[in-house]
Amino acid sequence: MNKKEKIPDIVFIGQPNSGKSTLFNSIAGLKAVTSNFPGTTVKHTHSKVTVKGRLFNIIDLPGTYSLNPSDEAEKVALTHLFIEKPDLIVNVVDASILGRSLEMTLELLEIESPMVVALNMMDLAEKKGIVVDPKKLEKILGVPVVPTIASHGRGIKELLDRAFAYFDKGLKPKRLVWSKDVEDQIHYVEKVIPEEFKKVANNRFTAIKAIELDRPSFNRMLEEISAPLKERVLKARNNLEKNHGVPAYEVIAAERHHLALKIFEDCCQLTRRKKASFSERIDDVIMHPFLGYVILMGVFVSFFLVIFLVASPIEEMLLGPLTGLREAIPKYLGTGILFYVVDGLLQGVGGGIAIVLPYFIPLLLLMSLLEDTGYLSRVGFLMDELMHQIGLHGKSVSPFILGFGCNVPAVVSTRILESRRDKILTSLLIPFIPCSARTTIILALVAFYLGPVWAIGFYFFNMILVAFLGRVISMFFKTPSPGLILEIPSLKMPSFSNMIKKVYFQLKSFIGFAWPILIAGSVVLGLLQFFHVDETINVILSPVIEHALGLPKELGVTLVFGFLRKELSLIMMLQALGVNYNQLLTVISQQQILVFTVFLSFFIPCLSTVAIIWKEIGRKWAMVSILLNTSVALLLSIITRLIFIGI
Amino acid sequence: MISLIKSPKEKKLKIINISGGTGVRRRLFSLGIHKNDIIILDSCSIFRGPVLIKNLTSDTSVAVGRGIASKIMVDIIE
Repeated sequence: MNKKEKIPDIVFIGQPNSGKSTLFNSIAGLKAVTSNFPGTTVKHTHSKVTVKGRLFNIIDLPGTYSLNPSDEAEKVALTHLFIEKPDLIVNVVDASILGRSLEMTLELLEIESPMVVALNMMDLAEKKGIVVDPKKLEKILGVPVVPTIASHGRGIKELLDRAFAYFDKGLKPKRLVWSKDVEDQIHYVEKVIPEEFKKVANNRFTAIKAIELDRPSFNRMLEEISAPLKERVLKARNNLEKNHGVPAYEVIAAERHHLALKIFEDCCQLTRRKKASFSERIDDVIMHPFLGYVILMGVFVSFFLVIFLVASPIEEMLLGPLTGLREAIPKYLGTGILFYVVDGLLQGVGGGIAIVLPYFIPLLLLMSLLEDTGYLSRVGFLMDELMHQIGLHGKSVSPFILGFGCNVPAVVSTRILESRRDKILTSLLIPFIPCSARTTIILALVAFYLGPVWAIGFYFFNMILVAFLGRVISMFFKTPSPGLILEIPSLKMPSFSNMIKKVYFQLKSFIGFAWPILIAGSVVLGLLQFFHVDETINVILSPVIEHALGLPKELGVTLVFGFLRKELSLIMMLQALGVNYNQLLTVISQQQILVFTVFLSFFIPCLSTVAIIWKEIGRKWAMVSILLNTSVALLLSIITRLIFIGI
Repeated sequence: MISLIKSPKEKKLKIINISGGTGVRRRLFSLGIHKNDIIILDSCSIFRGPVLIKNLTSDTSVAVGRGIASKIMVDIIE
């Protein structure tokens, strides 16, 4: 094998929660995002690393339970695996649930690419009383098996050493044999696979997948490629079904299952009869039919309490000097164009530091804590029935909760949902979840000027709105939600360094993407004011702002910036009205603040959210989302005006 | 043979049959739930929510919605 021309690709693949991303991180550095909720690596992460003087391209694929893709994250993994044909596969396996994990290992072996198995979470397996014999497993599978504890960085050096040695020798795994009648059917199909057939691996793998993939579109494709092949595939499926009384794909799934269990029994020993472990006892409480919900409520309340207790004081601390600085500039710069530019710059930079970061960081940290411990899956279980009421199921809880931090990653995470219907519905509802930016606005305007009770009421009303919209929108979909199938991984002690890495990763994308927009937007607004263009925008928007909502027309221009980022509107509002934060009530009434907050919260998903919805579910739905949000915002704010201000 | 929804909690059950759509069945298989597996119905939520299946054969826990659970047929073995 000539490896000098191309940088070899090493692909990390494993089932969700196998610790794959953690292992990848410790090799690649701060790249992939990990968690203890099925399916967080929804995009694959590339990284070039030099190990022992050799350059490798390492790729972290989304967690996948099998090579039969059922959700988008899994499709990403498979497409990559099949199209880019990696030079080496690192299969990360959770040793504590080896029996099931091996099913995918067996599937990967069928590709017959060079592979190593990282037997991860050995510590957890030991706690469960499972002693795995890696040597024996290695002998059976015919590929290197290296025990690792990725969260502590253990076994990684050996894994790399063995992987390279295996890779350099160009070894391939050995073929494992199934029951005779299944093997017979595979041979029967294998024999007629035409030479020119575009194979992702060997003939045997192709034959197995052809038998398994019982879908009309695939059958039509077979017909086009080779009629005899299609005939044999159909016959093989029929034979298997006749002999076993279940569909062919189930026969093959059962083959892997039995083989995996046999291997598990052969190379594992159960040292002690398991009694309820500590984590199982915790589970009994947090998933209890009554206590579970009490705890869930408590978690949510403290979640927000912590954010506000931490964020508000920090925000005030940071805002003080900023206001001072802004007041001082005219002394040095006069009131010409330079003043407007510098003032805009200060607003933008300060807005990022003082308003967004204090809320963002604690929210992201807490979120990753919920994810990494495995609590988020349990929330999915507890909330399933409630989510059914709004036309979804428990798995959508995770995107929603992420939405409280930022709508953008929330929309991306809808990839974990299997059905397109659920994905669309969830993505349309996410922009109604108050993200940290909108929470900031609600706090800064409603809580500060109308009192905390109003802010809580606002939140409560917001949740009811989401539920109501979910119910209404789901009526437009003919097919019901397919229902929940969600793995509940064992509870894990979160690794602090992992959490920090994850927060850093998300923060980096904020600083790299949103902050520059925020700064540029503030400068542009400064310039608009200098050239008096803002007045034109205000005039254009005045039918909505002044007549429909009864607000000062100066607020029109702030909405334009609210589209860039919601929190910009808050900064811009003060700038547009020409007052400091604590003087707000001199120019606008409490009721007007309420109307403005209602409109601002819902009126349009911010630019990044629209972009991500466009990317994830298409332009049509991005437009629907804009239309939906704007009409709901208009309707609600007019109602708010009628109730609190009158006509 | 009874449906999982009607099965008693905390008893060992053996999966006899899994019916339902191909997508759902495939998903259950890939999460390690197969025919002949020994499972325990762990808990049900207070509202008519999902059920938690503890699979003793593959040592995993999977939450499934009631609709899907009603299509899993089991025998009580202990």
